[in-house]
Amino acid sequence: MAWPTIDRQSPVTDSDAPPLLSDEVKAKIRSFFERYETRRAALLPALHVVQESLGYISWRAMDEVATVLDIPASEVFDVVTFYTHYWTKPRGKKTIVVCRSITCELMGAGVLLEAFKRHLGVGEGETTPDGAYSLATEECLAQCDHAPCVLINEKKHGRVKPDDVPALLADPDNDKLEVPRSDLYDPVLGEDATTRPRGGERKG
Amino acid sequence: MPKIEIDGIEVECRDGITVLQAALEAGWSVPHYCYHPGLSVVASCRLCLMEMQMPSPKGGGMEWSSKLVPSCQVPVKNGLVVRFASDQVKRNQRRVMEFLLLNHPLDCPVCDQAGECLLQDYSYEFGDPTSRMRDEKHKSPKKDIGPRTLLYSDRCVLCTRCVRFTREITGTHDLCVTHRGSENEIDVFPGKALDNPLQGNVVDLCPVGALLDKDFLFKQRVWFLKRTKSICPGCSTGCAVSVDSNEGVVYRLKPRYNPGVNDWWMCDEGRFGWKYMHDANRITAPVIRRGGVTGTPPWDSVPEIVDARLRAVIEAHGPDKVAVVLSPMMACEEAWLLVRFLRSVASEATLVLGPVPIQGQLQMFPVGSTGDAVRFTIRREKCPNRRGVETIIAETGGPTLSFEVFCEQATAGAFAAAWIVGGYPEPWVTKDFAKAVGQLEFVVAQDLFPNEVTEVATLVLPACGFAQREGSFMNFGGRIQPFDRAIAPPDGAKGDGQYLYELAGFTGLYSGRAVREMMAQEIHLFSMVKEAPPMPVHQH
Repeated sequence: MAWPTIDRQSPVTDSDAPPLLSDEVKAKIRSFFERYETRRAALLPALHVVQESLGYISWRAMDEVATVLDIPASEVFDVVTFYTHYWTKPRGKKTIVVCRSITCELMGAGVLLEAFKRHLGVGEGETTPDGAYSLATEECLAQCDHAPCVLINEKKHGRVKPDDVPALLADPDNDKLEVPRSDLYDPVLGEDATTRPRGGERKG
Repeated sequence: MPKIEIDGIEVECRDGITVLQAALEAGWSVPHYCYHPGLSVVASCRLCLMEMQMPSPKGGGMEWSSKLVPSCQVPVKNGLVVRFASDQVKRNQRRVMEFLLLNHPLDCPVCDQAGECLLQDYSYEFGDPTSRMRDEKHKSPKKDIGPRTLLYSDRCVLCTRCVRFTREITGTHDLCVTHRGSENEIDVFPGKALDNPLQGNVVDLCPVGALLDKDFLFKQRVWFLKRTKSICPGCSTGCAVSVDSNEGVVYRLKPRYNPGVNDWWMCDEGRFGWKYMHDANRITAPVIRRGGVTGTPPWDSVPEIVDARLRAVIEAHGPDKVAVVLSPMMACEEAWLLVRFLRSVASEATLVLGPVPIQGQLQMFPVGSTGDAVRFTIRREKCPNRRGVETIIAETGGPTLSFEVFCEQATAGAFAAAWIVGGYPEPWVTKDFAKAVGQLEFVVAQDLFPNEVTEVATLVLPACGFAQREGSFMNFGGRIQPFDRAIAPPDGAKGDGQYLYELAGFTGLYSGRAVREMMAQEIHLFSMVKEAPPMPVHQH
């Protein structure tokens, strides 16, 4: 049986291509530095910024983030693949995540996932041909009291029934948050860093 | 020294170690994958779990804890009571082994690690003979992670020793653990291959057959290999190594634990630097040139020829016209025997230390560390015994010259005969030196490979590689470390020590230890030999 060897010696990133991360994204990442004792600690928010800007985190993006944070690229790779929230391949404009933990499962998440698959015409981990939606599952969305729950981009939807799926998909605002996002991910650029509440500051 | 109780037996142990280390040192056989004394403790493999006595939550004395505790993470403390010989501990070991083997391909017949694999050893000693896994095995890919190393992910037990090595010892952070849970894999960032100067150690660290050395891959089953204690001649650090050989052929070098010198590690330069010993171009028999005729004298006649020719030179030119160029590649014993012999014939013979190869930069690891943070050093001096030979020259006394001055004076005709020792794996004869040698009437060249000196020498004697000799090297810090002979010299050649021993007037077989004892009578320093401690029962 053929068992091919994965080549890890050759680079997959194109070193001659123009940089992926814009100066704005880099500036945003750098604005996180003062919150933490080490630059490494800014990795998670930095990856969120990159994912928001590019849609997903490619090899090249990992490498560039590593350069900005001055940490080894292998550690960025390590972290990106650990968290299911980070995507390593292109995805649609909106990502639908169906919870697959035990509470949601008991409350009908399995049937719900099938309904999404049917309506979108794609399987788990896939993206619709028009690039509008990607479908995924995740272990627990911490909404067991609203099971079965679904996440569309960053907006949570609780007690979703299979019948709700068409309406949910038809709603253009199904991913709009009612409350502003944490300041951790959206620092206001140019503002004096010392006057802003420091999200990452240690207590005590 | 704290005293702890393991399985009802009182054990006195070193301060500041963990219960696992104490148990291993006291002779217990405790399975462990993630624990390595040279790396940080992660307590992730769950194989070394033990039962420990703790204060009873109900009050009133101690009782066995209901949960198992990782012995690799518990520091020893006076009065600590633990046990490994209990049903609960043994059950845990069996279950963990079963989990680790769930997706293991069981391809031992084609795996290089077979025979020195801790999965095999622990399965036999602590595991169940059968698996209850009925589902199809998950097959992780094979990865080409570096120019010298392959990763068979399907055999990996995720102990992360290799990852911690690249983070804590080399500081190069090449390896990482990707994905999560049952999908965990060891990997490198594509294009940033595992290519640091110490990377070979990850193969030694790997307790299973996941990380394999491309150089050794499918070359030899490990149970055929004979393991000999040696010292790496690659630089003046003097790492303790094992030479693994079979039927007179070296297959690989492995580091030996040697605290304060190389600890558990060695560099790639040394690890793969032995190939010259099996080079087809090596000089393997003595050569004599008499009036344009070249012949191979029998070994028996060599002492006679040397003696007669040297005496002729001394008679014609005087006893101060003889020189010996010693090599920093020689063992202390060989240098001592040669000096002893030459001074017995020519009492005024000049002692010269040959060129000391200096290459590259001092490399300290972790990269960028200094002072106490340094865990491993590769030195610039690419020879094992400059200090040893220098000591012998200094202690012997009499006329000595530096190599440069010797070249100048010999070119000017100050010498008539010389014994020149090479033994360098790389070409070493400079133009000046070749010119100086050209002025001499009688030259004995002792070397590994043909060069400008062996081309013109009256008598050429084959030198041997370090694994074909025995003796001792004095490292950069003055530590005298003995090494044993792993393989025989090539057919037709004789060990350097052996023919120098015979020249010096001794009969019988040369032994490094016996010569060292004689040397110690003259030079007290040579009684202070430092051997690396023996390997523990369960190799790390």
